[in-house]
Amino acid sequence: MRPVASLALLLAVATLASCAWAPPRPWEKGELAKPAMQFDADRLESRIQEHVYQSKEAASGGYGVGGGGCGCN
Amino acid sequence: MRLHRYEFRAMASSHEIVLGAGDALHAARTAEAMIADVQRIEAKYSRFRHGSLVSRINRAAGAAAVSMDAETAALLDYADTCHRASGGRFDITSGALSELWEFRRDPPRVPGADEIARALALVGWPSVERDHRSVRLPRAGMRIDLGGIGKEYAADRAAAIGIDGGIAHGCVNLGGDVRVWGGRPDGGPWRIGIRDPDGGRDPIATLDRFDGAVATSGDYERGFVVDGVRYGHVIDATDGRPVMHWRSVSVAAPLCVVAGSGATVAMLLGHDAPAWLAAQGCDWIGVDTSGAIHPRERRP
Amino acid sequence: MAAALALPGVVPAGAAAQSIPDEGRVELRYLDYRDWQSGADRMRVKSPSFHVMKPFAGTWIAEGGLVYDGMSGASPRFHNTLSGASGEGVRDYRTAGDVKLTRYFDRYAVGVGAAVSSERDYLSRAVSVDFRWWTDDRNTTLAFGFAGSSDRIDPVNEVVVGRKRHTLDFLVGVTQAVNANAILQSNLTVSRGHGYYDDPYKSLDTRPDHRRVVAWLTRWNQSIPAADATLRLAFRVLRDSFGSTSFMTEAQWVQTLPAGFTVTPGLRYLTQSAADFYRDPPFPTGFRPGEPYSADTRLSAFGAFTPSLKIAKSFERGWTADLRVDFHRQRGSWRLGGDGSPGVEPFSARWIQGGVSKSF
Repeated sequence: MRPVASLALLLAVATLASCAWAPPRPWEKGELAKPAMQFDADRLESRIQEHVYQSKEAASGGYGVGGGGCGCN
Repeated sequence: MRLHRYEFRAMASSHEIVLGAGDALHAARTAEAMIADVQRIEAKYSRFRHGSLVSRINRAAGAAAVSMDAETAALLDYADTCHRASGGRFDITSGALSELWEFRRDPPRVPGADEIARALALVGWPSVERDHRSVRLPRAGMRIDLGGIGKEYAADRAAAIGIDGGIAHGCVNLGGDVRVWGGRPDGGPWRIGIRDPDGGRDPIATLDRFDGAVATSGDYERGFVVDGVRYGHVIDATDGRPVMHWRSVSVAAPLCVVAGSGATVAMLLGHDAPAWLAAQGCDWIGVDTSGAIHPRERRP
Repeated sequence: MAAALALPGVVPAGAAAQSIPDEGRVELRYLDYRDWQSGADRMRVKSPSFHVMKPFAGTWIAEGGLVYDGMSGASPRFHNTLSGASGEGVRDYRTAGDVKLTRYFDRYAVGVGAAVSSERDYLSRAVSVDFRWWTDDRNTTLAFGFAGSSDRIDPVNEVVVGRKRHTLDFLVGVTQAVNANAILQSNLTVSRGHGYYDDPYKSLDTRPDHRRVVAWLTRWNQSIPAADATLRLAFRVLRDSFGSTSFMTEAQWVQTLPAGFTVTPGLRYLTQSAADFYRDPPFPTGFRPGEPYSADTRLSAFGAFTPSLKIAKSFERGWTADLRVDFHRQRGSWRLGGDGSPGVEPFSARWIQGGVSKSF
């Protein structure tokens, strides 16, 4: 995978981001403040999800550092 | 998703909060918090309340400095910005002038030059001594009045409380100073009507906004007529006389405090207002003393 | 305008993507996990967990958590191997805890954390430091993280004793408010480790003693005010020096409903290639003494779908409750762009979790 796939993903993200690019001014952040828009709300839930996938798949990563390992891997 | 409407009175005018929320209890609790903050600001900054901070500052004029908190310091900083932006015409210390021009004489007459000079002696924002912790009015009889800022600031804070409280759609109208966010729950913008300064029932224009604020400054609420000339209550602090060019100016801006101060400064700038408002990038609607609506493309 | 923004409270606190939480939060959660695979016994995990977060002294956040996993049944990781653990299935537990302290400054925040996880045969200790810096308008946040962990493996079958594994993790990430309705996060993590990676309960399992995993995760949250909903998207590309590459994509639709309810359907798809030294059944095909070898199906090539559904409700006085169900299925033939490992039976798992939280 592939440099081609990675590059395609990078391009897709960059395109998506650039056509919608209009960083909000402070008074326009009402929507961004909603709980559903947060990346790190529901700590325990996301930790459980990561932990389950970590024990089902070859490797894990991307979400953060420092959770500590376990023998499931 | 329903619209929940709350009406209340504070700051000597009637206010309205409209919240779009699915849960009536959630809307009511959020509205309570918003109203409580509006009342807090009134209690703190109304010059008509004996115990308010503004009254304490005014009573201590010519005497001691009064200590103040960061919120008050920020409001005074903002007043300072408006003073500079208007070339000194916008001045929160112009209370003596307002009183002079608002005083109901029978029969009505225009105050004399000596009366204006006496009042002007009690006006002068640059002479106010302040730092981040305290403020002192240098002359006895001098006073400050946060009209034109305080109510608008309260509207912005109420909106912030609503947004932080998870209300996706809202409209706060504090005596004509309007702040909206999130559009209407049906997906349309909030429709903000501009009041007819002649007292007509129908709005003279409508501004549609999903997010933002509209505030109006005008002299139709208080004022008097002598020899066919209308004298309003928006006083130019540089010459001590009411401005005569506009009957009302409505300004749209992202924040209500900007719209409100922008509208007042525009009133004070007279015929220079259109150029100044264009430079600020603000959408606006003005009615001049002849009753004509500006900018031209706004005319019905 | 800038002068107006200096007025306190005119800008919603949430607008400051990096504002300090002003409320504490305590959460209790319970997980019930089970999986199955034809020809293998079921594995079941019951896991209560707890997390508390509390701001103090204006600029500090303290948080900590505990989790207990009670496992019973045989794991599919024993598939087709000569298990050295007890013959009647596994009954084991794991307890883990972590603490973290974060200090917020005007334009940045620094956090330090520690975590420990303990099982009968496995002890892991980790420390971490993270640093976040944001721009004046708080539309852009850069994050840097660093963690080190030291693990000790003492399998009950005593094929080895006191083997170690050391891992260093690095993270660099950016979070960007793209517009008033969208926020983007992109993280790159690199994990480098050395030490004992074999599975001591699998015969012949021999893995390299160095490992590097590079993962690039990008998430996009899109608010859709007209529908009163939020679309959450995630993409991840991952490359493991063991030879496996995976691509993951996930979408969730968070729908706000009346009376404080939200319903969140979601779908996750992962496709991975096999590790270089993975060998398909029948065991022990392809084993050569002295070379890496594993028949662990987690290292095989497969595709996996996980549909999920979550229902949450918020109540008065800061209470919330939620229930979430995930159903996970792996199949060799679902792998994208290549054949899966043909010798592995489809594997299924489902987990249900319920949580209650309170802000204070």
